[in-house]
Amino acid sequence: MTKQPRFNKILLKLGRDASNNAMMKPEKKKPLGILFWVCVGWIILNVLLAVFASFLPLIDPLYQNYDAVNSGPGLHHLLGTDDLGRDILSRIIFGSRVSIFVSFGAMSIAFLVGVPTSMLASLRRGRFDKILTTVMYSFLAFPAIIATISVLSFWVPRNLAKVIIVVGIFSIPLVYRVIRTASLAVAGREYVTAAKVQGATDRRILIREILPNITPILVSFLLIGIAQVVALEGALAFLGLSINPPTPSWGNMINEARTVLDVNPWLVIFPSIALVLFILSLNFIGDRLRNHFDVAEVKI
Amino acid sequence: MGRYLLQRLVTLIAILFVVSIGSFYLIHLLPGDPAFLILGFNYNPVTKAVLDAQLGLNQPIYLQYFTWIGHVFHGNLGTSFISHQPVLKTILRAIPIDLEMIVISQIIAFGAAIPLAMRSARRPDSTLDRLLSAGSFILLSVPGFIVIVLLVLIVSVKLGVPNTGPSTYVPFMENPFQNLSSLLLPSITLAVGSFVLYFRVLRSDLTGVLQEEFITMARSKGISQRRIMWRHAFRPASVSLLGSAGVNIGGLLASGFIVQFLLAIPGIGFILVGAINTSDYLLVQGVVLFVSGSVVLVNFLFDFIIFFVDPRISRD
Amino acid sequence: MSNELLVVKDLHTTFATAGGELPAVDGISFTLGQNETLGIVGESGSGKTVLARTIMGLQAIKNATVTGSVKINGSEVVGTSEEDKRKIWGTEVSMIFQDPMTSLNPVMRIGKQVDETLRILLGMSKEDAKKRAIELLELVGIPSPEERYEAFPSELSGGMRQRVVIATALACSPKLVLADEPTTGLDVTIQAQILNLLDELKEKMQMSVILITHDLGVVATRTSRIIVMYAGRIVEMGSTQDVFKDHRMPYTRALLESAPKVSNPSHTRLVTIAGRPPNLLALEKGCAFAPRCKFATDKCHNERPELQATGTEGHMFACWNPLTSSRGDA
Repeated sequence: MTKQPRFNKILLKLGRDASNNAMMKPEKKKPLGILFWVCVGWIILNVLLAVFASFLPLIDPLYQNYDAVNSGPGLHHLLGTDDLGRDILSRIIFGSRVSIFVSFGAMSIAFLVGVPTSMLASLRRGRFDKILTTVMYSFLAFPAIIATISVLSFWVPRNLAKVIIVVGIFSIPLVYRVIRTASLAVAGREYVTAAKVQGATDRRILIREILPNITPILVSFLLIGIAQVVALEGALAFLGLSINPPTPSWGNMINEARTVLDVNPWLVIFPSIALVLFILSLNFIGDRLRNHFDVAEVKI
Repeated sequence: MGRYLLQRLVTLIAILFVVSIGSFYLIHLLPGDPAFLILGFNYNPVTKAVLDAQLGLNQPIYLQYFTWIGHVFHGNLGTSFISHQPVLKTILRAIPIDLEMIVISQIIAFGAAIPLAMRSARRPDSTLDRLLSAGSFILLSVPGFIVIVLLVLIVSVKLGVPNTGPSTYVPFMENPFQNLSSLLLPSITLAVGSFVLYFRVLRSDLTGVLQEEFITMARSKGISQRRIMWRHAFRPASVSLLGSAGVNIGGLLASGFIVQFLLAIPGIGFILVGAINTSDYLLVQGVVLFVSGSVVLVNFLFDFIIFFVDPRISRD
Repeated sequence: MSNELLVVKDLHTTFATAGGELPAVDGISFTLGQNETLGIVGESGSGKTVLARTIMGLQAIKNATVTGSVKINGSEVVGTSEEDKRKIWGTEVSMIFQDPMTSLNPVMRIGKQVDETLRILLGMSKEDAKKRAIELLELVGIPSPEERYEAFPSELSGGMRQRVVIATALACSPKLVLADEPTTGLDVTIQAQILNLLDELKEKMQMSVILITHDLGVVATRTSRIIVMYAGRIVEMGSTQDVFKDHRMPYTRALLESAPKVSNPSHTRLVTIAGRPPNLLALEKGCAFAPRCKFATDKCHNERPELQATGTEGHMFACWNPLTSSRGDA
């Protein structure tokens, strides 16, 4: 259905009359704000820690210290230890590798396939667009989680590469829908028509005209997509469908912790905080960017 | 009017077809001879012959599909070689638990989201609105499996509320009170995710609708604010809400498994996880088909409702 | 004063915008008697619509400040709560909205929109309200009203929808009706039908009407008095006769000249008003029309003219260099 433009008519009318005289200042872009940069910093810190985890003076995440089992936060183990005496801080940092690796990997697949096809579909329109869009939308009809679980449970033996491939492939329709909507709006503009008339190739139009104009939404959706995959991987790990223990991941740490909830609640709290802060930061950055570039909210 | 519904129906059938092919093909993702993995310890010439007949494994693959879908249409999803139970029977025994959880969660979610979204939308940028928007944004970033673990930690472990922790589920007929209390935390978990979604969608649409000229006109008629909100604004603002509810409720069948897995509630998700862990592939396949099909059907049902809520749809 | 239905005194509506204070209605006073029809004319952006909504007390925008006084049949509108205003809305005063495409609820049946106030404000039973609503639909000239009662707005044409808007506004027989450009969105032939209908209903239902328009042709034959607005102020007002035949304000003349006339030979070039409507955020000290006025002097740019009487009863204008006598010009 078409949405009617919603605004206050009177103010608009007055604003229009006023702006006729070019006296009304255009509304300023919403500033990104300090929280935005805090979130950016947090994500960068997480990624750096994950990449350089092996070089950091951390206790081996697999080392079992039987003298300190289920110890709470303390000097030796900043965030405490689990029921096998393993260091939680170290496991959280090493565990972030799985989340980051899977989410970046899966989103790379989804974007590498989803972005070019959706842009091309929006430019070409016609039957190509129609068929592709119908297929993509049918896949959207059921949740990614059920699709990934079913494939992962049959595609044995499981490993991280398969998780990335499966999650990546099932994320393509989401990327396709968002990017197609965004680039459709650009493809209809005059400068694209002008470029077509001048005989520019599709490739040139896509790269020179459309891509720069959808970059803000591309970036913000990439971040939100990564956040969603982090949550999805957490759920898969929680069920034992992602990486196998003892290798830590945020999801399987929370899963292991649930059996000792009464003895050692820290075990569930710290990985949960790590996971939520990571997702929250990504969502926040994505949301702010979208507002900043004044991109209409796209349903995700 | 009929055209829109017919169009949706055609799409529905097409999607169901895709879903069935997907579910069918899962078996062939198994490496090597699928019969070997499906039968596991029960592998012997006799069981292999039974399975081959059931799945038509000797036939070319497209014929296998027709054999299989033919059985599905007769309500035969196969018989598990692990539990020796018909797959459909296992599923039908579990599904009422999911329905109960979904119904409770949706009552909570709608009950909270609608009035709060109305208050927020009436005064955008008020303190309440900012608090709710920020709160819902944060909740948006908390995955369900964390919500349930934290709820269990606080409510069952720390507060010691009885019959809310793992393995406390009893059937409703046996002990309704314990049944409800054991489903409380899982239902709240499902409700949190739904609430966040519904609140954000409805708040944004209501804010828009309240600025429409027809709302100003309704005000000028001298009727109460309450009536304007419920009778004039809510219905046109509820289209996206219904759309997202359709997708979400279907999804709850799929995402309910995490809470069920954690609390050992024998719903469809619990069965799915158990089947994955015991390599009961036929049961997994049956659950996948059943859940995906239900998701698509629920989606369609909500499209149908939307069609009656908003007469504009039929004109577009 | 007791027989005045509407008394507006020194009314100001100011919007706080990003660019500063915007005086959309800037010190307006007038009165309206029973069964009178008043026309308010001006270009778009002159503040007519804001004036109408301020008289109704419909705060359209949150950051609007209203001062002054509006009394409808003795009840003050300015500064009262929405709850108090609800007591006069519908029964004492109602409004016919400008755009029939957006002012009807798209997901509510026509009949429900018309009979809603009958049931709620007048306490009619469901059946009585329905009967009355169908009568109203018939009154405003909607064919087969029983069927239309069940229709959705999207099933009706623009003209039919505007009739529904009128029926809704008149449902509780208000004493005062504010018609805000009721025909702007419609075809010319339908415009005339709707205006004649309003006229007819006004006589039948004994109402006072304020007809707001940018089109002087619309008000010429239907109003007893006219107010000409410019930049949120009254620049001339008086009986329709006086405004048309003896206007003093150059802006009024410019408006009249820019209206197409049937008596003109075909292919006559339309006269336009030079320049643009003023920016309300940056008004001059003097007369707001001065930058576009060919008679403007230094005084016009520096001192704001107040309304002054011409001598003819009720005829006032705000101008330093009034046209002497334009009688016979038009």
